[in-house]
Amino acid sequence: MTEEEQIEPKRFIVVGAGGIGTWLCAGLVRLLEWKYPGSGLIIVDGDNYEEKNKERQDFTKLGNKAVVKAQELTTQFPNTTIIPVPKWVVGEDFGGVTDEDSPKIKASELIRENDVVFAVVDNFAARSILFNAARNLDNVDVFTGGNDDELFGSIYHYQKRDGVEITCHPEEFHPEYVNPPDKNPGELSCQERSEIEGGTQLLATNMAVASFILGRVHKTIVNTQSPEETEIFFDLGLGKSEPYNRTHSHLNQENEILV
Amino acid sequence: MEATSNNAQPGRAAGMANIRYGVYNQPSNIAGKTVSEAREQFSKIWGIPSDAVAYCGKDRMDENATIQPGQNIEFHRRAGEKG
Repeated sequence: MTEEEQIEPKRFIVVGAGGIGTWLCAGLVRLLEWKYPGSGLIIVDGDNYEEKNKERQDFTKLGNKAVVKAQELTTQFPNTTIIPVPKWVVGEDFGGVTDEDSPKIKASELIRENDVVFAVVDNFAARSILFNAARNLDNVDVFTGGNDDELFGSIYHYQKRDGVEITCHPEEFHPEYVNPPDKNPGELSCQERSEIEGGTQLLATNMAVASFILGRVHKTIVNTQSPEETEIFFDLGLGKSEPYNRTHSHLNQENEILV
Repeated sequence: MEATSNNAQPGRAAGMANIRYGVYNQPSNIAGKTVSEAREQFSKIWGIPSDAVAYCGKDRMDENATIQPGQNIEFHRRAGEKG
């Protein structure tokens, strides 16, 4: 690309600024700052940083995660507009109470055409809400990732172009997206949220999830290559990773061979 | 769609097929075996849970379906949750 050619600014939305989100933001803001100046990075989280989070999460002061992270990055990256949204993401059918202590935003009000969304929350329920909202758009990318059992993790990339699903919605392969075994913290009371177990997580695995997602962004967004490594499982203990092609074109071809 | 047709025929030639679960991916001589038998063979070494559904492409495989040579059989692993 020549210098004269206009580089289209991007709108990246990171939902969840915790164990994965803080490291992911560090990479995404650098990508936007140098490759797509004038872009926006929106950070969404209704939760607060606590002292105990420092073991795995990157922040310099206590307070709302979206607000603190946005303040930190704004001082370092002047060519990127960083906007905090200190709210919990909820679904269309949310009928609970929105109060000052627990502000909400509907996923459909957050995501719009051509967004690149990073659903790095710690539960399937909220991820499912974000994927379903994205499904109603024509052009969108949603990346997600999570980890379990200390050193295991996985990431997934959902992509739509011109109204056509390029990769499958994750619910086609994961029943946990159809019937989430967990609850969306945004739809719980403060007391209920405080009782949720974080599980045993490691910094290395959180960072690996963020790195795998950044790698996919580089290939599929920056280089606009095929998202054929749609889902990647990895295990840092075994030193293994395995990509799965969840593109509709590949899966249709595979099924045709079997007919 | 559930892949049950043309699977329960006896005397099918054995051969290689690919079996996958999470980070594991291995060509194996499981063609001719049922999904249930393949699960039994790999469940202990890979830790495949009994409720992990087997798929071939987008098609859900019946436990009694016979694996064909060259097929890619995937036992779906639950995605990572926390972050």
